[in-house]
Amino acid sequence: MWEHRCKVALSGVGFSKVTRSAETPLAAHALEAVKAAVADSGLQMSDIDGLATYPELPATGHAVIDGVTIVSVNCMMAMLKLPNLGWHIQVETVNIGGAVQQAVNALLAGVCKYAVVWRAMHNPKGTYQNLPGTYAQGTTQFTAPYGFGGPGQGMAVAYTRWLETHGQSREKMATLAVTQRKHTQMNPHAYFYGQPLTREDYLSSRMVAYPFCLYDCDIPVQGAVAVVLTTAERARDLKPRPAYLAGYGQRLKFEVTGRIGSLSSYMEGGRSSSQLTWERSGFSPKDVDVAQIYDGFSASVIYGLESYGFCKEGEALDFIQDGRIELDGDLPLNTFGGSLGTGRIHGLWHIIEGALQASGRAGERQVKDVNVSFVGASAPIVTGTTFIFVREPY
Amino acid sequence: MSDWSQVTRPIPVPNEWTKPFWDAAKQGVLKLQRCQACRHFQHPPYATCVSCMSVDLAFEPVSGKGTIYTYTIMYHAGDKRFAAAVPYASIIVELDDAPGALLAANLLGAPYTEAKVGRRVEVVFERLNDDITLPQFRLAE
Repeated sequence: MWEHRCKVALSGVGFSKVTRSAETPLAAHALEAVKAAVADSGLQMSDIDGLATYPELPATGHAVIDGVTIVSVNCMMAMLKLPNLGWHIQVETVNIGGAVQQAVNALLAGVCKYAVVWRAMHNPKGTYQNLPGTYAQGTTQFTAPYGFGGPGQGMAVAYTRWLETHGQSREKMATLAVTQRKHTQMNPHAYFYGQPLTREDYLSSRMVAYPFCLYDCDIPVQGAVAVVLTTAERARDLKPRPAYLAGYGQRLKFEVTGRIGSLSSYMEGGRSSSQLTWERSGFSPKDVDVAQIYDGFSASVIYGLESYGFCKEGEALDFIQDGRIELDGDLPLNTFGGSLGTGRIHGLWHIIEGALQASGRAGERQVKDVNVSFVGASAPIVTGTTFIFVREPY
Repeated sequence: MSDWSQVTRPIPVPNEWTKPFWDAAKQGVLKLQRCQACRHFQHPPYATCVSCMSVDLAFEPVSGKGTIYTYTIMYHAGDKRFAAAVPYASIIVELDDAPGALLAANLLGAPYTEAKVGRRVEVVFERLNDDITLPQFRLAE
């Protein structure tokens, strides 16, 4: 087991308004979320001495403008003018989960006391994936000429492989979409709050890139979320009950950039990341009371459930049936609605919900008697990170 | 069947790693990068052998017969260059000679509904311009 288990905690959380289009510059959303997280902890902004983010704009072919389409650490520093700032970073790999892990490491190293991590996501005008023009350079030379555009199709081919090699049917995914949307109705910050979804809606929705229909894809939005992380000792003196970090992991496998269609890369990414988290925390999948698994595309949940060890390979679409992932089921899943419910904010919201469930702060959607709360914060293939938060330090 | 006649495909830009692939395709030959140490085929081309880390790599011809490893049917017409062909099948092919090396292509000469994991396909060549010819695939016996 990890000697640092339960020595860092997630304290405050904050949300900006989530809108379909960019009505205000992204920096305003990020600032709103960061201020809310600091206030939730009961801290003053001047207490914050660590900053971390993953600022990437996943929409390709659009201008990267700091403060407008991304919010970098430099942008946040310029806005907050923190008098006691002692440490900051923005990560390149493993997405926002990597930024959280770096903040944990900084806290354990004693180079900051209260770290803020945010994820701000922009929805550009026009087509989200503004694909390259006349020519296909780099690894896209082997994919773009054949009409492989954005990440949706890259994910779709892996999902087809999973469906047909395991003799499964995509209609079973309706249960995930409908259950998550049901959970969304208990999350007032979510984009789809107030908009339920029926099984019929899912089954009759338009196809985007088979096997993905519209409701298998998270909707691009403009918004931000943020957290305050601190040492367990300091967290106990703050306003909210802490969620203690029992362990974390990151994916240790990567296939060659540009390789497309491989299912094993998702599975190996998820297995390697979760194995670290299980070993460090000392828990196993059967100990988990509630799980958040990244769902930018619905199929990511399948790869997560299987590669993290919650069910056997080929069985995830059966595993999610019969109420198992409902709030009172055996494995309540994506209890805040997931990205399919909140809109495309990436995995920090999954981490937030994992912590809220562990600390008993999830309100109307709180799962009963939670101690072990698992998070798979992004799609295993590209950026898989995993976390376990607990209510009771051990 | 998807109508490809109105589609404007992005034109591949060969680089030092990939030029032999495109030079061969222009001659109607499918060549993949092969490790000269462990004989492993790989695609897309890479600086080292992903199997044994050797840097001794060369392009060698393959038969062009294989199976559909997986596929997607594209319905979304967000990319206007491909809108005329929607819905169309983008497939991933695993060649008999090169297990593990996965090639993207379109399924030509058949309705998109014919795309299924495991179906036999063979390479055909689609000329884009004087410099670039695309390897593509059609159903085979």
